[in-house]
Amino acid sequence: MTTVTRPTRFDLLTLWDRLKSNYLLQKIAQAIFVVWFVTSVTFFVVRAMPGNAVDILIQDLTLAGVSPEDARNQASLLIGLDVDKPLPEQYGTYLLNTLRGDLGQSYKSSGLKVSELIVQVLPWTLFSVGLSLMITFTLGIALGAIMAYNRDTWIDHLLSNLAATLDAVSPILIGLLAILLIGVTWKMIPISDMRGAMSPGMKPEFSWDFIADIFMHVRVLLLVYVLSTIGSWMLQMKSSTIATLGEDYVTVARARGLTDARILTAYVGRNATLPLFTRLAISIGFAVGGSVLLETLFTYRGVGFLLAKAILERDYPVMQGVFLITTTAVVFANLLVDFVYGWLDPRIRIAGGEQ
Amino acid sequence: MQPTLTVRNLTIEYATRRGKVQAIRNVSFDVKRGEALALIGESGSGKTTLGLGIVQLLPVMARITSGDILYRRQDKTGAPPLEIAALTLKGNSLRQFRWRECAMVFQGALNAFNPVLKIADHFRDTAKAHGALNGKSLEERGKHLLNLVRLDAERVWKSYPHELSGGMRQRVLIALALLLDPQLIILDEPTTALDILTQRNIMDVLQELRSKLDFSLIFISHDLSLAAELADRVATVYAGKIVELSDVQTIFKAPTHPYTIGLINAVPTLSGHKDDLTSIPGSPPDLVEMPSGCKFHPRCPLADEQCKTREPESEFAAADHQVTCWQWQKARGVLKSYA
Repeated sequence: MTTVTRPTRFDLLTLWDRLKSNYLLQKIAQAIFVVWFVTSVTFFVVRAMPGNAVDILIQDLTLAGVSPEDARNQASLLIGLDVDKPLPEQYGTYLLNTLRGDLGQSYKSSGLKVSELIVQVLPWTLFSVGLSLMITFTLGIALGAIMAYNRDTWIDHLLSNLAATLDAVSPILIGLLAILLIGVTWKMIPISDMRGAMSPGMKPEFSWDFIADIFMHVRVLLLVYVLSTIGSWMLQMKSSTIATLGEDYVTVARARGLTDARILTAYVGRNATLPLFTRLAISIGFAVGGSVLLETLFTYRGVGFLLAKAILERDYPVMQGVFLITTTAVVFANLLVDFVYGWLDPRIRIAGGEQ
Repeated sequence: MQPTLTVRNLTIEYATRRGKVQAIRNVSFDVKRGEALALIGESGSGKTTLGLGIVQLLPVMARITSGDILYRRQDKTGAPPLEIAALTLKGNSLRQFRWRECAMVFQGALNAFNPVLKIADHFRDTAKAHGALNGKSLEERGKHLLNLVRLDAERVWKSYPHELSGGMRQRVLIALALLLDPQLIILDEPTTALDILTQRNIMDVLQELRSKLDFSLIFISHDLSLAAELADRVATVYAGKIVELSDVQTIFKAPTHPYTIGLINAVPTLSGHKDDLTSIPGSPPDLVEMPSGCKFHPRCPLADEQCKTREPESEFAAADHQVTCWQWQKARGVLKSYA
């Protein structure tokens, strides 16, 4: 007996040691821990809020004429939890359900699953925020580098002031101004085109009409997203490029007679953008959440819009669901950047990777 | 043989907030074929500016206001040399001149390499920019040079800069400087910030390269012992001017400029008593408000009225010994030198 169990224990131990020394697994474990932690905090905070969510629902149902007994049953059915059960047990059920991908049901749109609601709105947010992020990142880097290369000329002064102004003005103000100027004062784009993600009656399909329609609806929102975020990207790229231009290896590259194009791309550009990638990853994570204010302003049915509605209606399962996917996205985007960064910057390449 | 480099009446100005500053004032000198010229002097004397001026890599606020720099590439056959007036070069021809004809190895090679590129890529980039070797022949030449500077070529070739120590990086940079076979190499404080053993190692490498390969050298240093070891001729730089220039024996055994004598007396020797060690009083002059007359007179023990009012011209103390001082004939006798 002992001769059989000993090797097994030994194997398990080495396996554990190997897991501990594996950077990838460590990082994933950390990420999962963070997601679990935030999910749990959200669960308890929602239940610790004054006017317990379930009580409010029961109250609402009672007010609507349902008997207290039935209201209680309906409520627990809707929320998918037995409200009479002690909190730890509810928490256990919630965690199990979440693990299975079941985020519960919406209080208000009865019968609709939270996961379905999110799947409905998520593509629109990913499309609008993702596209704007790509534009902002590319344009911000290009303009920031131009500013740094033309430091203290009129181009730099013009762009720096513009960037600082855009960065300082609140996105919602830029949104309102865009609607006012483009839609009302100049009448460049009909206001109805700015509202919603697509025209009523349009079927999501892979056709020119559909693509043209969604771009028509997203263009002003896209412009507002780009304008409200590009300033800080430009300024960050500018300072990063100026710092890189002062590095010895750039002077040495010039002394080595390298072409300006090669110095700009491989020596200045590549090093100056390194610090911006961390920010890009975090932005990609937050892209999943969308913007509560702007999506509401443009009635663009994305994740932010859904969240705003859920908060107004005290639809706690939906709120929990949105928070869960946003957290997960941010955490895993950060995880991704850890690995991409190692690939971009050999100095922090992980031990055990390429030798 | 004509000199590899001829510098005549070179003046370099910096535009600062407090006004224009002459960092190099009317400097002339030659670097002969295959010789090593050391430029010595305190920090801020203009040594590095002189080096940067030759490859035209001065900071934006600096400007070369006058002078000529003539570079000659010549081979042993005695064919007429290829002459390049360095200061007239612009754009692509300037780019080609750098490193192919005149390579400058910078102070503090710690950051001389792009951190995201391997050493091999640095060699490849340099060769490509000059339309030189590629592929297998580049790799062979690169590894040969790395071996010459006593590095493990196979390992270093595939390394990233951060995987090498400071001394290794400095040697890689020297190997890289040799890649295009330039006839002039400027070494700006190549051993600063390195420990004494690494410094020794690099000096040995440089000695060996000088004996094996054919190139001229400008060696910029504040370390007199290193200059004495490596150089054939030595120029003392003070306040943007060469104040004394001669062969290494004369400079260290029979210096005539009070500043050179002062520098030599400030170097501790193994046999000398510590009481014999003297520093030069005061500090290098403020270039914006330069003293009148000889720029060294406020710190000079021999200064008289003439020194305070008139700046001396360069004179020949011997056939190959220039000195810029009113008192040079007295200096040797009055000031003790322990060198």
